[in-house]
Amino acid sequence: MGEIEQLQQRIAVLERTLAEMKTHTALVEREAALQMSRAVELNARLSAILSICAALLISRGVETIVQLVVREAVHLFPGTSAAHLFLIDADQSTLVLRASNNPAVILTRPGEGLSGKAFLSPRAMLLVGPQVESALEDMSEEQIAALSASMEHWPPYSALLAPLRVEGQRFGSLVIYGGVNAHLYHPRDLPFIQALADLCAVAIDELNQRTRAAELERDLTLTQTLHAEAEARLNTAQAQLLQSAKLAAVGELSASVAHEINNPLYAARNSLYLVEQDLPEEAPERTFLAIAQQELGRIARIITRMRDFYRPAKAELAATNANSLLRETLELVQTHLRHSRINAAADLSNEIPLIIAHADQLRQVFLNIILNACDAMPDGGDLRVKTRLLQARSESPTTIAIDICDTGVGIPPEHRPHLFEPFYTTKANGTGLGLAISAHIVTQHGGRILVESERNQGTTFSILLPTTNE
Amino acid sequence: MPHRQIQICDDDPAAALITQRGLQALLGESYGVVIAPTPNAAWLACAHGDVELLIVDPGAGSGSASALVRAMHAFRPTTPVFVLTAYDTPGLRAKMRDLGVRYYVAKPIDFKDLLPLVTAALHIAPIANSFPIRMNAHCSH
Repeated sequence: MGEIEQLQQRIAVLERTLAEMKTHTALVEREAALQMSRAVELNARLSAILSICAALLISRGVETIVQLVVREAVHLFPGTSAAHLFLIDADQSTLVLRASNNPAVILTRPGEGLSGKAFLSPRAMLLVGPQVESALEDMSEEQIAALSASMEHWPPYSALLAPLRVEGQRFGSLVIYGGVNAHLYHPRDLPFIQALADLCAVAIDELNQRTRAAELERDLTLTQTLHAEAEARLNTAQAQLLQSAKLAAVGELSASVAHEINNPLYAARNSLYLVEQDLPEEAPERTFLAIAQQELGRIARIITRMRDFYRPAKAELAATNANSLLRETLELVQTHLRHSRINAAADLSNEIPLIIAHADQLRQVFLNIILNACDAMPDGGDLRVKTRLLQARSESPTTIAIDICDTGVGIPPEHRPHLFEPFYTTKANGTGLGLAISAHIVTQHGGRILVESERNQGTTFSILLPTTNE
Repeated sequence: MPHRQIQICDDDPAAALITQRGLQALLGESYGVVIAPTPNAAWLACAHGDVELLIVDPGAGSGSASALVRAMHAFRPTTPVFVLTAYDTPGLRAKMRDLGVRYYVAKPIDFKDLLPLVTAALHIAPIANSFPIRMNAHCSH
């Protein structure tokens, strides 16, 4: 009997133990099922995140990106009543609802409402119950009306919010709302909402960078084209200047020779004339004197043609605006000035009248003196171009003064007397013709060039042109 | 020697001589035509003598000749200045015009064209029986 009782007691203990084990097993099974469910859910979310990554990589527009993110947010977080993606506008003052699972028009400011708080927040947040209501308090009635209209359940009981930011730059915010008595978001959802927001921000940032890079590339191409064109124009102008200078040097030489021959020619022709006056009408020497005079006359005509070489023909002279010529010349050299770090300023008087001049030749004079000024400022500096109208007295003829000033190294005093001599140069690659031809052209226009220079202070070339030419 | 003088200032001796001979032949003994080799000498003659016309070639370096012309206008404003130059350029022409020169002629010019201009500058009637008169296109006034 005693054994039976003992056995019964043991059986009872074993049954209790078995019952406890069953209970424990049920608990473990439930826990295993829960963990399995979470693992599946996690796996699904990771798969979804990877799919979003792949989709964002090939997205080519902001609209596509934000719509995709909102759609996937609703799938990633079951029980979501509404998903809103806001982007900040260009002046960083207004958050604009760019994508929503239900159509809505909502604008907020940074710090205002859930979207505004998410925008300023350093990381994702979970708001529940009273926290949500408190966050909505600072929104206006219109904003609340628009927000509630976009949701299936109002008021939301919980919300997940995350900033869209990349390396300190903020683009907007992502807010998802849980419905009343529906799904309650959990803190373990926070990494996912932040991951989704980060993916969205990176995709938008990359798109912006791509757009900016394309714009910069277009600008660079345009700048390179403009630079090449400007350089080509400047090279052409310099080649023309050199060609003109060579021609002018020949002309200068011809004119110089012609001038030197004029005196002996004058003496020879008129000597013959005086001899002829003393001869009788019938003198046979008159025939030879006439031949000599004819031939000397021929020489005189040849000399006149030589002297007039490179002097502008009347047909090439026209009413010319010196200000326009200066503007054109500065336009021509603007790339050169920029590369030489030279700041150019023009102070052109509206009072100066048109002058009768050879525009191309005057343009060459301006170009030559401006390029010389650039050469005088190897480390950059200031170039100032000024025009003035000069008149000593009311009845005096007027003169246009064109001042071209630089802040360069200046011209040493020993060089100044020779500045306008042909072939005189201090430059390694200079021809020594630029200023000579400039002076020649200005002289041909009845004007003159003055120079003032101070060592290491700068040089001013003043071109004086009469307003009335012969 | 006649007391009325025409002063020639030309640094080219042959040109100066031929101008002097030609004018002397035209004007006879009513004027003495004299040559000064330098602008300084010409100025001394004009300042102290009875010069009725100054004929000057500013030459290649026109600085001192310009000073002579300026001095004539300042101190002998009634004496006309006649520029007869082998170095004609628009620049020189403009410069002489600015200095008040009314008679400007470029060499080489024939006497038959030059002499009427000289008589005009002297404000005397053309001397028809000496040389034929024909106005010359070189005259700038």
